[in-house]
Amino acid sequence: MTKKKNLRGLLRQGSVSLMFVVICIVCIPISGLSPAYLVNEIVTRTGRNAFLILSLLIPIMAGMGLNFGMTLGAMAGEIGLILVSDWQIVGIPGMVLAMIISVPISIILGLFCGKILNMAKGREMITSYIISYFINGVYQLVVLYLMGPVIPIRHSSIKLPRGYGIRNTVSLLSMRQKLDNLVAIRVGGVKIPVVTFIVIAVMCLCIIWFRKTKLGQDMRAVGQDMEVARDAGINVERTRIISIVISTVLAGIGMIIYLQNMGNIATYSSHSQIGMFCIAALLVGGASVDKASIGNVFLGIALFHTMFIVAPKAGAVITGDSMIGEYFRVFVSYAVITVALIMYETNKRRAKGQAGEELARAQLEEERA
Amino acid sequence: MKNSKKLLYRLAAAAVVVLIAAAMFIVGRGHTVYFDSKSGDYNGTEYAAPYKMEVYVDGERVAKLKEGERGMASTMGQSFSFRIEVTPEKGGDSYTKDFSLKLPYSLDGIVVNVPALEAGLPEEAWESEFVPVVQAAKAEDEEVVTDEFAGLMGDEEDEAS
Repeated sequence: MTKKKNLRGLLRQGSVSLMFVVICIVCIPISGLSPAYLVNEIVTRTGRNAFLILSLLIPIMAGMGLNFGMTLGAMAGEIGLILVSDWQIVGIPGMVLAMIISVPISIILGLFCGKILNMAKGREMITSYIISYFINGVYQLVVLYLMGPVIPIRHSSIKLPRGYGIRNTVSLLSMRQKLDNLVAIRVGGVKIPVVTFIVIAVMCLCIIWFRKTKLGQDMRAVGQDMEVARDAGINVERTRIISIVISTVLAGIGMIIYLQNMGNIATYSSHSQIGMFCIAALLVGGASVDKASIGNVFLGIALFHTMFIVAPKAGAVITGDSMIGEYFRVFVSYAVITVALIMYETNKRRAKGQAGEELARAQLEEERA
Repeated sequence: MKNSKKLLYRLAAAAVVVLIAAAMFIVGRGHTVYFDSKSGDYNGTEYAAPYKMEVYVDGERVAKLKEGERGMASTMGQSFSFRIEVTPEKGGDSYTKDFSLKLPYSLDGIVVNVPALEAGLPEEAWESEFVPVVQAAKAEDEEVVTDEFAGLMGDEEDEAS
């Protein structure tokens, strides 16, 4: 009976991943893409996205759910890259400088976001989602109106023809794939960006180490039960703010790694899409709102991006229109988040119901005795 | 005591970050070097462009120039080295020569007139700032799309009415 229950629980937990495995198994042969091409694409996308998705783990550990506010960090990273592009600092030094610029901006935004989320305990995800829209407005004000007259921008290739504001697309050709190509080896036609993977591996080790530190333990305690953590002497509010600040800073750095791979910035849209896709990928990897691991990150990238690569091709083969596959992958991204949120709420209610039943049973036994 | 030590560590960390940023500013400054192959004279000293010239940067050929032509290469930092392979006359023997230049930090684009440099003339004879040609026609303004609801809220109709 217990085994059956465990199996059912396991299936429920991994249902989203399983669904994606099925989608990939069906779509890969239909798409007609070669395994070498697919592996190459997935390796590239792992290098591009992993750091960003890893930034989501710490707020989950602190019980703050999926940090839609990672968009704030992404905006900070973009501001760093825009300034560095204008100053003509290129290559790896340009990336490092953009990261240094993004960190204080991320810290300020993270502090702001964390403080607001502390005022909206229990509703962190929707609040962080709306904060990202709010800060997007501020970002647009800075990038569209202050860059030029207040923040000096010299180059006309970056500046809008009207004389202020930043163009829709900023070229990062001078730092395109500089990190990826620093040391790149080819194994069976697959390009492996060694340094990018080393950076990601270091980040994973840092997360593992962080979990064992006092602050990491505090975050886990806060994530499990805020009241118990408070009674144990943990400064719950401060711990939660720190988790959001760390996540925002890492998202800023992750966005710079992501954009150096892409080779250009879509100034007004890159950040708004990135949060959604990172969260969807993490959920596809089997993570939930209250539990996520490093393994979920990599499984999620592999499954989600395989679907992303093969869906348009498979859609084109099946229906003769590649846009169907395009719609499908966007629809799936949003659907995955919805399913994860529903499952989280259902599990929470079930656990609450079970706890109530157990309490009632215990009371009944006490009365009988 | 403990607090002042903590503050000291934080200040030291901040100083290290600022130093790294400063180093990145210097090391990572990008320049575009334009190679010209033009004849001319400087204070009475004449110099002639060769029949053909090839420019190599880090062992890679970046330009193949005949008289009056221009090539370019992107570089990082203020030290720039390149090699030229010069063929003075058609069908004649060629020779190679190496050059190391200090690029001015403030300039994005630097034009180097290689024949003048080769003739051993002073810096002002072979180095100048690259100034992009200003388009006569005014560039068309770029429409910035920041609102994902653009066009869905009936704004256009309001404007039209």
